[in-house]
Amino acid sequence: MPGNPATYASVLSADFVRASARARRRRERVISAVVGICTAVVLLGLLAIPLFLLVGLHPGTPLSADTWRRFEVLLAGTLRAGVCGILVALPLGIATAMFSAHFCAPRLRTWIKPALEILEAVPTVVLGLIAAVTIAPWLRNHVASVLALIVIVPLVLLSAGMAFGTRVRNEGWLPLWLLPLLIATTALVVAVAARQAEPAIVPASPWNAALVGLALGVAGIPIVFSLSEDALFLVPRAHTDAAFALGATRWQALTTVLLPAAGSGLVAAGLLGFSRCLGETMIVLMASGNTPIGGFDPLGGLRSISADLALGMPEASPESDTWRGLLLAALLLLLLTLCVSALADAVRERLHRRLRAAAHAA
Amino acid sequence: MNARRYGAAGTWLVAGLSGVCVGAIVLLFGFLASAGLAPFWPAPVEAVQLRDGSTVLGEIVASEATGLSGALAIRTSELERMGSAYQRVRSSDIAARSQPADAVAITLVDGRRLYGRGSDGEEALLAAAAAPVQAIEIVRPNALGVLARCSVFFHRLARFLATPPAASNLVGGVLPALLGTLTLVLLMSLIVMPFGIATAIYLHRRRGFAARCVRIAINQLAGVPSIVYGVIGLGLFVHGLGGGIDRLFYADRLPVPTFGGGGLLWAALTLALLTLPVVVVSVEEGLARIPSSLREGSLALGATHDEALWTLLLPAARPALLTGLILAVARAAGAVAPLMLVGVVKLAPALPVDGVFPYLHPSREFMHLGFTIYDAALASADAIRGVPRAYACAGLLVGVVLVLNLTAILLRNRLRDRYRALET
Repeated sequence: MPGNPATYASVLSADFVRASARARRRRERVISAVVGICTAVVLLGLLAIPLFLLVGLHPGTPLSADTWRRFEVLLAGTLRAGVCGILVALPLGIATAMFSAHFCAPRLRTWIKPALEILEAVPTVVLGLIAAVTIAPWLRNHVASVLALIVIVPLVLLSAGMAFGTRVRNEGWLPLWLLPLLIATTALVVAVAARQAEPAIVPASPWNAALVGLALGVAGIPIVFSLSEDALFLVPRAHTDAAFALGATRWQALTTVLLPAAGSGLVAAGLLGFSRCLGETMIVLMASGNTPIGGFDPLGGLRSISADLALGMPEASPESDTWRGLLLAALLLLLLTLCVSALADAVRERLHRRLRAAAHAA
Repeated sequence: MNARRYGAAGTWLVAGLSGVCVGAIVLLFGFLASAGLAPFWPAPVEAVQLRDGSTVLGEIVASEATGLSGALAIRTSELERMGSAYQRVRSSDIAARSQPADAVAITLVDGRRLYGRGSDGEEALLAAAAAPVQAIEIVRPNALGVLARCSVFFHRLARFLATPPAASNLVGGVLPALLGTLTLVLLMSLIVMPFGIATAIYLHRRRGFAARCVRIAINQLAGVPSIVYGVIGLGLFVHGLGGGIDRLFYADRLPVPTFGGGGLLWAALTLALLTLPVVVVSVEEGLARIPSSLREGSLALGATHDEALWTLLLPAARPALLTGLILAVARAAGAVAPLMLVGVVKLAPALPVDGVFPYLHPSREFMHLGFTIYDAALASADAIRGVPRAYACAGLLVGVVLVLNLTAILLRNRLRDRYRALET
């Protein structure tokens, strides 16, 4: 053994080992404590959100009847914008998810998924800008053609599929092949509408719920897409393989196996998308006109709770009645979105439970 | 046979709707790129000859193509003040339009535009503007070749990025807004990362009741609308914390608020709360993806849990930390609504970072790219200047956010490959 035995003796002495172990244990305890404290601070911060809203409301005179009526209008506006948004986001998001999960060529999929992730990253203020400044004047004159497109495009796709669909062997790249058809249909409808001297339908305001819904829908597509795609991928591969083995076509496998199994996941995706639409601020603030109008007119202006908060909060002085009214509005919005997303979580939990049961049975 | 047919129709519907989605994304980014860069391209100066014999010289700012029916809007020389010289000309009054090669366009420091003709047009124009202000750009756009146009384009782009705004944020650069955005995001990252990582480690280690509570809270937090964070930031941070600090340390300056008004620090705290779920989720996912054999191996060799964490798990999860950070930064850079409540302003008198001690001024109000978009598009006095400016800012903001997100996506893919290598 090389070296001085005496040094070894001192390094390996029981005292040294014990001391180093103590130091290590102490360090371990300190780190656990730091982690615990940080987590506690985080939890405190999270709990502060509802607590602050509740405490801020507590003292003072009850709110006047006018404030309550105002809430009704704001709530109606929020729901109207949210419904319009999800009506756009749901079909597009779920269809894209179905295609990407079940039909898509792998190479196309490596492009579609990042594209939607990037769409999710676009700041909503930018979507609001495009909607308010560029689309609003266009949409004012083209409401009828947009409505016509909503009806005609699915019909064109269905009938084209009926006519030529059975001849196409490989559906993997179909969206790209269909792009020219879509563009041609759109151009045709817009050109026909442009021949009329006066637009057939003129909205009450260029900044209306339909415009907000269009922009909110684009903002909501990515979340609906990613959640529904996850739900579709959760269905075990063996189930669809079994369907194929029994002679099902891709479409039959989708409608008879995948959709029933993942259905609750799709519902959850829709609900979460809806919750996101309800709370979105910048798009509604920029594209809705912010006029407190009640009712259900999709072509009328609106004012949502979130936009009201963004406009009113900086001016309200703390402890005033306006301030407390705004806090109540914020609480209402928080509860609304939390309820919808909690519902989504419950539905999604059901999906997981069922799939787990299916896995056990298999 | 019929079932096949219906199936094909359904498939085509699904594929077509995905096509609509893809088309919309391509259209959106194409439009943003063109609308964001168009303001920097030198526009031609047109001489519009009217039927009554007079000639209007200027830049066409709106026409049939941009939705103005039956008329042209022309910006002529703004001799007195900015936004004072727009002319609307009916299409039926126009006899001829031309782009004379000797036309000159001058941009003054205060944002005014002057248009003239002839070789000595500049001096006459500058004299007519009767102003001691400097011209920052003199070009003859109609006579420029493609290369010269590109040079003007890049000069304008550089000026946009590197100079402060003029004329109440309607013209000039966006340096303060860009700096404000970056400083805010940096400060936010410094706050959110330690807390986010600590919470993720806690969730990774513990499985008890407390951990479940934290997990539920984090999950629910991700769905809370951003404006609610703004309300919390205003009520809790600005009025609560900030007001308290003022009463304690700056009582002599009250009622003028120091920390009790909106400011950089409170905005950063609000955004930190907003982005916390992103960081926690991605860090925890990164920790969970590390094969447990690695940790068990280090524990078997005698490492304590914390040594395993610092020397093995966190380094292995570094890409996940980075991904979390980048996603948080991208989310924070795009969040505008909460900032409107906690201290973003149209025009800040001073930058949040400067050469005066302590260099970073967390109590100052600041400018932000996203808010500049909103303000320029909807609240500016001169919409014809405001809208292109808003699009230029939007292009810049989307560019920043896209680069961050693409980095995150690439990192994630590399990370996935690395773990695949570890597992085999």
